[in-house]
Amino acid sequence: MDLSIIEQLITFITLPFQSFLTIEILLIFIILYIFILYNERRQNKKVKIILTSLIIFFFSLLVFYFSEDMMTVLSEITKTIMRSFYFPNIIFYILSAIISLVLLIYTLFKEKLTKLNKIITYTFTILHLFLFTIFISNAITNNLSLTNTANIYQHDNMFVIVLFSNIIFILLIIYKVIYHFCYIRHEKLKNK
Amino acid sequence: MQRKNKNIKSQLFKVGFFFLIVGVIIFFSTPMKKIKEEVFEEMRLAIFQLNINSENITISDVNTENLEVTQENTEIAEENDKKATYSYIGQLSIPTINLKRGFVSKESRYNNINYNITIANEADYPDVPMGNFILMAHSGNAYISFFDKLYKLQIGDEASVSYNATTYNYRLTKIYNQAKTGTVAIYRNPTIKTLTLITCTHNDDYNQTIYIFEEI
Repeated sequence: MDLSIIEQLITFITLPFQSFLTIEILLIFIILYIFILYNERRQNKKVKIILTSLIIFFFSLLVFYFSEDMMTVLSEITKTIMRSFYFPNIIFYILSAIISLVLLIYTLFKEKLTKLNKIITYTFTILHLFLFTIFISNAITNNLSLTNTANIYQHDNMFVIVLFSNIIFILLIIYKVIYHFCYIRHEKLKNK
Repeated sequence: MQRKNKNIKSQLFKVGFFFLIVGVIIFFSTPMKKIKEEVFEEMRLAIFQLNINSENITISDVNTENLEVTQENTEIAEENDKKATYSYIGQLSIPTINLKRGFVSKESRYNNINYNITIANEADYPDVPMGNFILMAHSGNAYISFFDKLYKLQIGDEASVSYNATTYNYRLTKIYNQAKTGTVAIYRNPTIKTLTLITCTHNDDYNQTIYIFEEI
């Protein structure tokens, strides 16, 4: 942790040569890389399928050998997602409000968007920003320190506000992603 | 004809996709519930710590509505737990098995094996000199199996109990099994403050295991 930049670089460069296993892993990845590059010119479908199967096989082996650790990692990831959904850090919450605000302003000034899309975006973003404002005003009235997450969530009102804000924000993002994909597909079909 | 075939294929794909999603949701619902409970538990403990640090007092439990829980099954208990609002008066932690769980006061309605780690009626609180603090919980795979990893403990492992803004440290000195008869005999040194943990024996339907910790 206390390495200088040069030491960090040296460690990074020598990393693949520290043991026979790491050299083997390096070789496997170099061969894979060369094959992928070479196949870009040939565009052979069989090679593509074989390469994909090889990559999947390689990672399946890793999962098989480290299955218990993988489960721990997966459970930790799920926990982190749940934590940021139910009890998000204040920075994450502020970030989501900023994204909502940007989306609202973008929708206001973008003329190409359909009316329905605009109405849906306005509804979600305004609701989200409304809840965010309530959250801030509640924090000020209750004299809450926003730096400590537990301090915020010991109040049921705050917990409910953040929970519903997150649900609205996730719905907004899901809607935007689906709309984006549908729009791209629709445009492609139109051009055809 | 070809178009019709394509339509049928597309419909089948949609139905298959729908069932796949439903299957995934059903398959992952139980572990997800457990993880959700762990996340909520973390937050409850964080709030408990916060109150202990800022006020330096024991928090009395709140919301003691009429709620009969002794005969309830796990599912109803889980459902009720979501509605329940209770505060911990202390916390048991065993670092070896990553166990950190709060407990409520003996008088609380939530001092019940279907909600929390439970303080036995016969138990003394940790601040009683030479007392025996007895905690019980389920083991296994259920939502309320707070002592599911206790079987991994070995003699010499340490545990601590935070209570009344004081931390009491203990070391595991004895593990023994007894048949499930409705009562448990506790064999301990009465001149040393003790922490006793009781749970069902791992992979055994007929016995229960008693873990005796002595204060360090």
